[in-house]
Amino acid sequence: MVVINNLYIFDRHCECIFYTEWNRTNSPLAVEAEAGRGSKDLVRGNQVLTGDSSSSRSSLDGQRPLVWPTTSSSTTHRVSAESLRNVAMEEEAKLVYGVVYSTRNIINKLNSKDSSQGGNPGGFTSFATNTYRLHYYEAPTGVKFILNTDVGTTSMQPVLEMIYRNIYVEYVMKNPLFRIDPKVSTPIENDYFRAVLNNYIREISSAAMPTS
Amino acid sequence: MAKQYKAIGDEAWKNSVEKVNAELFIFTYGSLVVQLLRDHEDCTSVNQQLDKLGYNIGVRLADDMFARTTLDRCPDVRSTADAVAKVGFRMFLNTTPTVGLWTNDNEFSLLIEDNPLNDFCELPPRALRDGLWYSNVLCGVVRGALEMMHMQARVWFVRDVLRGDDTSEIRVRVERMLDEEVPAADE
Repeated sequence: MVVINNLYIFDRHCECIFYTEWNRTNSPLAVEAEAGRGSKDLVRGNQVLTGDSSSSRSSLDGQRPLVWPTTSSSTTHRVSAESLRNVAMEEEAKLVYGVVYSTRNIINKLNSKDSSQGGNPGGFTSFATNTYRLHYYEAPTGVKFILNTDVGTTSMQPVLEMIYRNIYVEYVMKNPLFRIDPKVSTPIENDYFRAVLNNYIREISSAAMPTS
Repeated sequence: MAKQYKAIGDEAWKNSVEKVNAELFIFTYGSLVVQLLRDHEDCTSVNQQLDKLGYNIGVRLADDMFARTTLDRCPDVRSTADAVAKVGFRMFLNTTPTVGLWTNDNEFSLLIEDNPLNDFCELPPRALRDGLWYSNVLCGVVRGALEMMHMQARVWFVRDVLRGDDTSEIRVRVERMLDEEVPAADE
């Protein structure tokens, strides 16, 4: 049984353009939502759901998982920009990117395949700790996908490739309203993308353990 | 190496790409150019607008191409040129330009014999005089796609069949390789 915890997507400019979680304790998203609202309501995207305020959530039971980053245009009321910044989440995203970036560079160097254009010639695919395994996939254009799962899952490369080819390219890249700017990073705020991604991850989680 | 790209391009065209009616596409593009000419009177700014349009298309096509084929990054400019011509153009326009006229290993030409956009098109004398490049969108596409592959390039039209030359030629000069961005350091 594959347990998928969360997913980060980083673009070519080292910015986190998408983060979502399905199974996480002490999430910076839930804490922020609670603190900001001061009530037991958890805000998910545009919807407000009343629920228990326990900090451990599992979202594979039909509810939509929390997503980050969201800009002020996607909430239903005008809030000042500062109150929407989730600093804990930003720092966490930077830390994750730093770990993955450095690890990938070390591996490239040890294989004597490092270059200033990046890429993943050394073939960094995953690392594991006692509690989770992190899987990494880098597209040739520089978009990076990071998936955390339970320790027992050996390889999620085909899953990450599927997410890139059939979900990211289809719903994000082919959306003409998604701004691609050499200087500015745009977060992904596409409901189709989120829905298809959730369905796919749900399928993967409930399928049998992949033999690899 | 070259044979491999041709095979990938043919296979992608046959299996991975949804096809659309060519005439619909050609007429849509033609009416787009006509509208731009009406809006902007000046052919130089029309060329620029077409280039910008192409750039937006190109940055997305790079990812699309990788999603549909098994290609990975090309090691040098020569194989990049082959990939663009034999895989990229074949997949999206069903025409394979010839790569040639290399100078310095970073400047080359794409010679397009049968550009589908030119079907049914005839340039009026005013456009001929003012220097309109009808298929300038293709230059923008190549420029955008190369930029997504960390290559900054200048792409321009040299000859065009619609202007009376024998073949259409797009010149590509890779000016520099862009380095991968490093995350901003915390102080």
